[in-house]
Amino acid sequence: MLNNGKAKILSLSVLVSLALAGTASAQVTDKDIVNDHLTNNDIVSNGMGLHGQRYSTLETINTDTVEDIRPVWAFSLGGEKQRGQESQPMVKDGVMYITGSYSRVFAIDARSGEELWQYDARLPDGIMPCCDVINRGVALYGDLVIFGTLDAKLVALNKDTGKVVWKKTVEDYKAGYSISAAPIIVKGKVITGVAGGEFGVVGKVRAYDATNGKLVWERPTVEGHMGYIVKDGKKEENGISGGAPGKTWPADLWKSGGAAPWLGGTYDADTDLLFFGTGNPAPWNSHLRPGDNYFSSSRLAIDPDTGKIVWHFQTTPHDGWDYDGVNEVVSFDYQDQGKTIKAAATADRNGFFYVLNRENGDFIRGFPFVDKITWAKGLDAKGRPIFEDSNRPGNPASSSDGKKGNSVVTAPSFLGGKNWMPMAYSQDTGLFYVPSNEWEMEIWNEPTAYKKGAAYLGAGFTITAMNDDYIGVLRAIDPKTGETVWRHNNYAPLWGGVLATAGNLVFTGNPEGYLLGFNAKTGEEVFKFNTGSGIVGSPVTWEMDGEQYLSVLSGWGGAVPLWGGDVAKRVKDLNQGGSVWTFKLPKKYAQFAKN
Amino acid sequence: MRGLLLAFALLVSLWNLNVAQARSLDDITESGYIVIAVYSDYLPFSAKVDGQPTGIDIDIAKQIARQLGVTLRLKWLTADETTEDDLRNAIWKGHFLDKSKADLMLRVPYDKEYSQKRDDVGLLVHELVHMFAPYHTETWKIVHNKTRLPDVPTMALFQYHPIGVEIDSIPQFYLMSAFRGSMAKNTRQFDTLALAVDGLVKAEVDAVMGLRSQISALHHQLDPSDYLLAENAFPLLGKQKWDIGMAVHNDFRALGYAVEDVVTAMINDGSLQAIFNQHHVIFELPAYYSE
Repeated sequence: MLNNGKAKILSLSVLVSLALAGTASAQVTDKDIVNDHLTNNDIVSNGMGLHGQRYSTLETINTDTVEDIRPVWAFSLGGEKQRGQESQPMVKDGVMYITGSYSRVFAIDARSGEELWQYDARLPDGIMPCCDVINRGVALYGDLVIFGTLDAKLVALNKDTGKVVWKKTVEDYKAGYSISAAPIIVKGKVITGVAGGEFGVVGKVRAYDATNGKLVWERPTVEGHMGYIVKDGKKEENGISGGAPGKTWPADLWKSGGAAPWLGGTYDADTDLLFFGTGNPAPWNSHLRPGDNYFSSSRLAIDPDTGKIVWHFQTTPHDGWDYDGVNEVVSFDYQDQGKTIKAAATADRNGFFYVLNRENGDFIRGFPFVDKITWAKGLDAKGRPIFEDSNRPGNPASSSDGKKGNSVVTAPSFLGGKNWMPMAYSQDTGLFYVPSNEWEMEIWNEPTAYKKGAAYLGAGFTITAMNDDYIGVLRAIDPKTGETVWRHNNYAPLWGGVLATAGNLVFTGNPEGYLLGFNAKTGEEVFKFNTGSGIVGSPVTWEMDGEQYLSVLSGWGGAVPLWGGDVAKRVKDLNQGGSVWTFKLPKKYAQFAKN
Repeated sequence: MRGLLLAFALLVSLWNLNVAQARSLDDITESGYIVIAVYSDYLPFSAKVDGQPTGIDIDIAKQIARQLGVTLRLKWLTADETTEDDLRNAIWKGHFLDKSKADLMLRVPYDKEYSQKRDDVGLLVHELVHMFAPYHTETWKIVHNKTRLPDVPTMALFQYHPIGVEIDSIPQFYLMSAFRGSMAKNTRQFDTLALAVDGLVKAEVDAVMGLRSQISALHHQLDPSDYLLAENAFPLLGKQKWDIGMAVHNDFRALGYAVEDVVTAMINDGSLQAIFNQHHVIFELPAYYSE
């Protein structure tokens, strides 16, 4: 036993030194991160490029060869703690870095699948994380591996040892804050939002010096709150978000407001802007807060140097449906009558797909990307929804007799036409590949509700599928026309990210456990492999030793199993898990590719 | 390596502790202790003050343990979004981060409509929980400053006077929306009721509306010559009063009956009233005992 242990430690250290040997620079630089989408030998940003396109120019694995890819290793995250693996792997110098549920980080030899180190964050007793216990991945910078924890801390670990280098409390978990998103690194700063479902939370985006965790700036996402910037070690006022309080909120409701940027952000080097989506406003009863409620359910463009809001675009003003508009903003260029349009696309919880001018936030076009939208009749010329007033959940005040209030049936459900799971954009086909869901919800207010022994005004809801044979739909969408070029229906709701490659392939996973590959042009299913538990993570691909690798986390969980009704029935037999699967072609293909 | 093994052994023992079940009365008696769940940081009901468990629910829990002849172990609950979640975390499933359960939970609504609630497919929401032994009746109350707002005959005053409420509470909803929103502009939100009462002392508001138990306990800490408890009614407010009781796992109703006997005895001998008095909280006997 003792000897075995020693041998293992020895072999580990050999592995570590092997991993370090033969690499010119083991440090991740700003340049590496900004150019991540141009380099195939590493993955050093969430989104496989800061603009979040999730596109790779690798083509050894393509529509002809994909049937021959096979697993080269699988890695178990182990423990009792298997509850939804939403992490996107990062790869640098032959080492893969992933996070697991319950705030764990793993470094894995990307060639063999052997563990190099594991870090388990010590979570405080009595913690009640608002938004399940998932985590969406790490950021890499210098020799640091940085991630956010359930108790709303940023932790930087040494990439070789997994030991803590610095740790920073972003918010107080007791006040209802948490972090589940992967932080991003822009110009030496680690930039993160916060999650928080409870009323009383105010969303903020913050930038810290990536080398030491010192605050650089802080930008509230609710109108009326002061932003700050740190100059010469002093925290200085840096302008109130939205100019002044109370312009789009009644009474003092702006003081709480919600709008948590819980999914993190993307960055476009062209315009030098950060893009963050913001969550729903609080309280849930929209009748209490007439007004647009800035900047809830919006996209914010933020200056990475100062934290100032450069533009905003609100997808769901006066949100009454919990269309928590955090969805990622993906930068892309396209040609229109000989002109290059610097665009950004976002597919919202509310069921609309938006194409914006990413320089100024102007609306270019928008269209539904789901089959049914009941809450709005459409979008006006500026992209503002034209509300269907009868489809707004009723005012609980008009049912104060203590009986169940009027209920409405709305599509999409609050889990969204698209939830957190990131879409991909192919530079070859010019299409977005959007993981979406077809479901609706019934909402009513529930006067017989309690909280800590006090009467409380609850909301009852139930999510139902709209079709017997599918909820999930992977769609190939043309951002120039709004046309759905192809679609693939899936029985369970889709909850995992998408990857597009120059091999004319699109990959995603489903809750049934399959890693799926599609012909990017036609939607034909060309690959299917069962990973043993549901996939809610995002697949990645990279090149190592002249061969193309493909990896995805498997492990069912996330928000879907937490909700009742029909949808729970569809997923109740799916088993939990926690593993990484890595694929490649047999070695001979590498030689073919070279010839 | 030894360190690792030790850590592993420790983990295993922790894990065993973590899957502790809600237990039958016999198991409780035999083990010599009872685990009672109370909310943390929730004065005047239950909190640790200078490390000492303090509050009405703590005193009641002590009395229950004493009468059952066992020692008391407290399970401190962090409130989840609703009481349904708390019942799941404390009584029948355990929280996913800390799988331990309690034998008995205090401060659970005693409300037939609530305990018989059905979900969207018609099943009982609380089928795994038995709710019993109402020990208090709750309602809302206003405390006001005697100089700035000498009297509160009706809610109409709050069209003119600022009033503090706890965020996301029924009083906030009520003041923001009742009477066509005419009181909304004078409604100020605070993170807790204690902070709202601080706001009252600092003259940010002229009154505070909240849970009667908390308002009466907080009022006791103020100078009685400057602050009064109002006697006004709350027209258009859905639920005016509700009862507070206890819960056990539905499999262990016998424990419920034993605890019920203890509570009834405490009502009859006045010791329950005495506990409330000691914490300066207005006690109201649930209608259950006068029926």
